[in-house]
Amino acid sequence: MHPIHCLTCLLCSVALLSPLNTFAADEDEFDAVHHTADAYYLDFLPIGKVELPRIFVVRSELTGYSLRTYWSTKSALRSGEMHPDLHTETHGNDHADLDELIASGKHLDATLVPDEGSVVVDFSITKHLMFGLLASGILLTIFLQLANRYKRGIGRTSAPRGLFQNLFETLVVFVRDDIAIPNLGKQHHQRFLPYLLTAFFFILTCNLLGLVPFGATATSNLNITAVLAAFTFILTQVNGSKDHWRHVFWPPGMPIPVKLLLIPTEIMGLFTKPIALAIRLFANLTAGHLVILSLIGMIFTFTQLFGEVAGSGVVPVSLAFTLFVMFLEILIAFIQAYIFTILSALFIGMAIADHSHSEAH
Amino acid sequence: MVLAASLLSANVGLVVWFTVVFLALLLILRKYAWGPITSALSEREETIATSMNRAEEALAESRRIQESNAQIRREAEQDAQRLLREAREEAQNLRDQQVQRTREEIAGLREQAQEEIERDKERALQTLRSEVVDLAILAAEKVLQENLDASRQHALVDRFIDELGTEAGPQASSYQA
Repeated sequence: MHPIHCLTCLLCSVALLSPLNTFAADEDEFDAVHHTADAYYLDFLPIGKVELPRIFVVRSELTGYSLRTYWSTKSALRSGEMHPDLHTETHGNDHADLDELIASGKHLDATLVPDEGSVVVDFSITKHLMFGLLASGILLTIFLQLANRYKRGIGRTSAPRGLFQNLFETLVVFVRDDIAIPNLGKQHHQRFLPYLLTAFFFILTCNLLGLVPFGATATSNLNITAVLAAFTFILTQVNGSKDHWRHVFWPPGMPIPVKLLLIPTEIMGLFTKPIALAIRLFANLTAGHLVILSLIGMIFTFTQLFGEVAGSGVVPVSLAFTLFVMFLEILIAFIQAYIFTILSALFIGMAIADHSHSEAH
Repeated sequence: MVLAASLLSANVGLVVWFTVVFLALLLILRKYAWGPITSALSEREETIATSMNRAEEALAESRRIQESNAQIRREAEQDAQRLLREAREEAQNLRDQQVQRTREEIAGLREQAQEEIERDKERALQTLRSEVVDLAILAAEKVLQENLDASRQHALVDRFIDELGTEAGPQASSYQA
């Protein structure tokens, strides 16, 4: 089949399956946020849900710190050691209530608390972590294979061959020549290129995984984007030059009162940069999904509010807009990966710059 | 019921997991993928750059050689022409000299022949003169029939020949006749 046809089929199936998934999770009402948020299961509807392992570090008066691991939320609840934290209901060992909860599927949305003591850290595997791992696996498969080709001499001494190598080489060269070198300079770029390449391809893969059926976007999780931004932050500060720190703590060429005003601003600036990185990536990827889900949700909302005729009438409009936003999302997947990487390179480049103070700032 | 996960919920466990995952990914890719790939790329770029430089140098070199070849050929042509011209002049000179010499030789030979002829003529005249003397004496003897003695005859003939010598040849021959 032609690639374009594949893509179209893919998009249609995503457009059709995504809302169904959402609806299955919440049969009574449509909740786009619920679908976009992280979860403790993988949704393979209509086949079913796969619950992910739950890992808790629990501290209690009696046993001190202990590690509790379960294969699923269900088994955690059934073990009797963990309970759903239901504010309205009493904590009970009532098996009938538990079975009812599990049957309704709502146990997956509950916060689990231990029978005694409290959860210190919840190391449970989540959907977004699984997709982060999947993206890592894809990257390892692609780039170890690609590296193998270069090791064998294809592309090293001869011209690169084939779609696979040419496609990824183009992207690697793009990151090197258009992101790393312009911001970091010829001498320093090699030190940071591995991080920039990893960040670019990881973010890109995560973004694109959100667009395939049964997929989820790891980069629409603020925790994950914060970790990515933290990597940039640490690389920036660890490699900061003397000039970088002097600019923060004693900005040159200013009167003392202005300096006193600038120092807190500069210190704040150190942190706003990575925070902006994290929020930008998270917000862009989350927004795209919310828009798609809301457009699809229009069909169901219209059906609920104005009846089936209105609901059917809105289908073509809704699908057309969804398709449009899907294409936009593909674009955004690339753009956000590019923006995160180029801003990381820019921040690192600014911090490592060792410029003389006679220059204009 | 409180949702376990919402869009903005902080999840320390996830942060820890993901930090480990991403760090591992970064280190593995850096060692086994980005290293070989970027080194291969820069190596290839260097190879291309140097081979292009080398090609340009070779081109310049060949241009230089071509130039010098042309120069050498031009010089050789000039040399050849000069040699030819010289040879031609030489030949001309030689021929001129030859002609000159031949001419001189011919002139010398002619002179010699002239002299020889002159000499022969002299000798012939001498012979003729003595012959004529004898003949005249013989004739006179015959005429005079021994009237005169031999000494008087000779004196007479000598006088006659002297007269003959001072007068023109043809007169003498007509006289003789």
